[in-house]
Amino acid sequence: MGMRILGFIAVFVTGALLTYGVADFPKWGDPHSPANAGEVSTYFIQNTKADTHVPNIVTAVLADYRGYDTMFETVVIFIAGVAIMAILRVLATIPPGHQPVQYDPRKKIAYDPIISVTCRLIVPVIQLFALYVVAHGHHSPGGGFQGGVILGASFILIAITSNLRSALRRFSEKRFIFIACAGALIYSGFGLTTLLFGRNFLDYGVLSKIMFDTDEVMARSHSMLGVEIGVMLTVTAIMFAIYANLSSRGALRGGL
Amino acid sequence: MADQSPVIVVVAPLFAALLAGLIGMREKRACLPLTLLGLVVSLSAAIVLFRRVLAEGEVRYFLGGWDKPLGIGIELRIDTVNGLVLIVIAIVSLISAIFSFRPHGQRDTEKNMHFYILFLLLCAGLFGITATADAFNLYVLVEVSSLTSYALVAMGSLRRGTVAAFNYIIMGTIGASFYLLGVGYLYMQTGALNMEGIRVVVNQPDVLASKAVLVAFVFILTGVWIKTAFFPLHGWLPNAYAYAPTTSSTLLAPLMTKVFVYVMIRIMLSVFGLVWVFEHLSWSHIVVWLSVIAILAGSIIALTQTELKKMLGFLIIAEVGYMVGGAWLADEGLWGFKGAIYHIVSDAFMTSCLFIAAGIFYRRHDCHDIASLDGAFKRMPLTMTGLLVGGLAMIGVPPTCGFFSKWYLIRGGIDSGHWGYVVALIISSLVNAVLFFRIFEIAFFGKKPVEHADHGDSHGHGEEHAPAPAEPTGQAPMPTALVALMLSAGFILLIGIFNGQIMEWISLTVDPLNPFTKTPPL
Repeated sequence: MGMRILGFIAVFVTGALLTYGVADFPKWGDPHSPANAGEVSTYFIQNTKADTHVPNIVTAVLADYRGYDTMFETVVIFIAGVAIMAILRVLATIPPGHQPVQYDPRKKIAYDPIISVTCRLIVPVIQLFALYVVAHGHHSPGGGFQGGVILGASFILIAITSNLRSALRRFSEKRFIFIACAGALIYSGFGLTTLLFGRNFLDYGVLSKIMFDTDEVMARSHSMLGVEIGVMLTVTAIMFAIYANLSSRGALRGGL
Repeated sequence: MADQSPVIVVVAPLFAALLAGLIGMREKRACLPLTLLGLVVSLSAAIVLFRRVLAEGEVRYFLGGWDKPLGIGIELRIDTVNGLVLIVIAIVSLISAIFSFRPHGQRDTEKNMHFYILFLLLCAGLFGITATADAFNLYVLVEVSSLTSYALVAMGSLRRGTVAAFNYIIMGTIGASFYLLGVGYLYMQTGALNMEGIRVVVNQPDVLASKAVLVAFVFILTGVWIKTAFFPLHGWLPNAYAYAPTTSSTLLAPLMTKVFVYVMIRIMLSVFGLVWVFEHLSWSHIVVWLSVIAILAGSIIALTQTELKKMLGFLIIAEVGYMVGGAWLADEGLWGFKGAIYHIVSDAFMTSCLFIAAGIFYRRHDCHDIASLDGAFKRMPLTMTGLLVGGLAMIGVPPTCGFFSKWYLIRGGIDSGHWGYVVALIISSLVNAVLFFRIFEIAFFGKKPVEHADHGDSHGHGEEHAPAPAEPTGQAPMPTALVALMLSAGFILLIGIFNGQIMEWISLTVDPLNPFTKTPPL
């Protein structure tokens, strides 16, 4: 009871403070508020297209102007997967009390034909859409995180509708760890390459020297696609790694 | 490459971690060399960087080359304060990596790869937090370092470690979201994320009275205090550090709380500015009294502990009280503020030394009880010497660094007239003396060699063969672990001896920003 009252007081004080601060905010949608009319946002609105050739300002801010943040956000996703594997993964023994659901592929009893046929049809479409979301991140809402989640979901769908083992046959543990690392390495590799050319980390412009027939501005646009692909790979692999570890309590075997 | 040193410090461990993931699947033994390599690169870049800062002043580095107008990109800005902290992080994590070495086939080696990936990414996160000059980038890196530290606490074999990690996640997430809320409020009022950009707007006369900025400050400060384990918000710390795997605690205990104290100092110094914090806000009295409570509470609870690592955990809480209080003393020469920064450096090595010693004892005895140290000096003279140096530094005996940090902090306390703080520091030193001399007494003179170490284990016999057969790690300490211990003990002495030089470096950054003197003393 005491903890409850204490908790209520904490929540109340937090809420009261937040509301107190809101009273002072600029008006909703005010075009002259500091966040809207500040030097930084004005710069983005006026110069993004000229700087990067990317019509989607959000993507440009995310993957170029503040690309360093996004690189570490990718690392955060990567850490989430590695952390779950580090805690859950059981290498030598099956955890006590866990009985893996043995599934015999010859006896297709528990699996509904409607579901499995539908999913077999739907998975390629999902994957194609995921690639579209990644590739069109420059022009429309989308990008590596969203595309990666969709692509990862398609593998999870395979695991749910058939079983974990057949999903792992396509996407084994070695493979998803490798792809997760490779994705983050692609992103940071862009940074390393710019360093080797003597520019600052993630200054994509200089990559026009190794990209065929591009100027500095186009090189930024292409590099953004490159890092988005890196993000997609990491997110896809980690999504599936988390599902596989959680659903089998780290044993990576058994039915679901 | 000297131009690029600010970013190399941060990304070297990141690359090492990703390579460890690629190679480690096939060859587990490659992980530790990669870890050492990444950290050595970071350390050398940090040293190059610090020399550059000394030679040409503040170093500013713009990621992606986006430098004008200020704030469109992310900036790393290194002055003598965070240059120093970067070096400390690099050395402490390197010591911890040396300590982590274990012969092939010992417990947990199957997960070596995961462990070292998380270890390296934690270091990358801490380096990034320290180097950045962008309030939002700081949040991203706080996420990196927090997530890795939760996993490092949870991945041990102790079940209590997992529970402790769960508490840590809840508290840590609240802390991080408070910080983020604060940054969001600041952005609404200032339209800037770059620390300098925020400071300029916040100190404009028409924004000074803004309630939103005040609320932002409260949320940021509370969030950071949760992460530093400042007393009433410390709940996650003792168990998380005590039940984490030994290597994890030698990395987390010295660095996490210290880096977040640094974050608080950076926020006071660069995001709001000392003028805003000390003259506009003038909350120093309240915060210093809070820190007095923290120091006393941490010390007194430490007295009641029977487990070595938990006792050290509560001592860290008291030490956090020292630093938070010291930073808010607001004396005219800012001795408290500078002392707090010096204490970040010295406390990192003190904690590193003590936790490594505790880790060696734990591996030997598989038992955390202080009583199991009975007669330990005869069996493990080197380990005890390390513990002795660490203990004396915690008490504050010259020439260890602990003495000098207390010296500067007390000087700040006297100058500002906060006698409560001075008394609390002295009481806490006395408590430390009682605690450590109790340990030394048990370890040096020993009681009768009764069978303490093997808690009802029918196989174990006497002190000579203390390790129970069921426990493969209960062996004589690895030579590498002793090297790590000696290194951190050596640094405790070095930092103590060169305290004047270190304070001079800190003053280079802090003195020009002192709001109480119109002309900066040099």
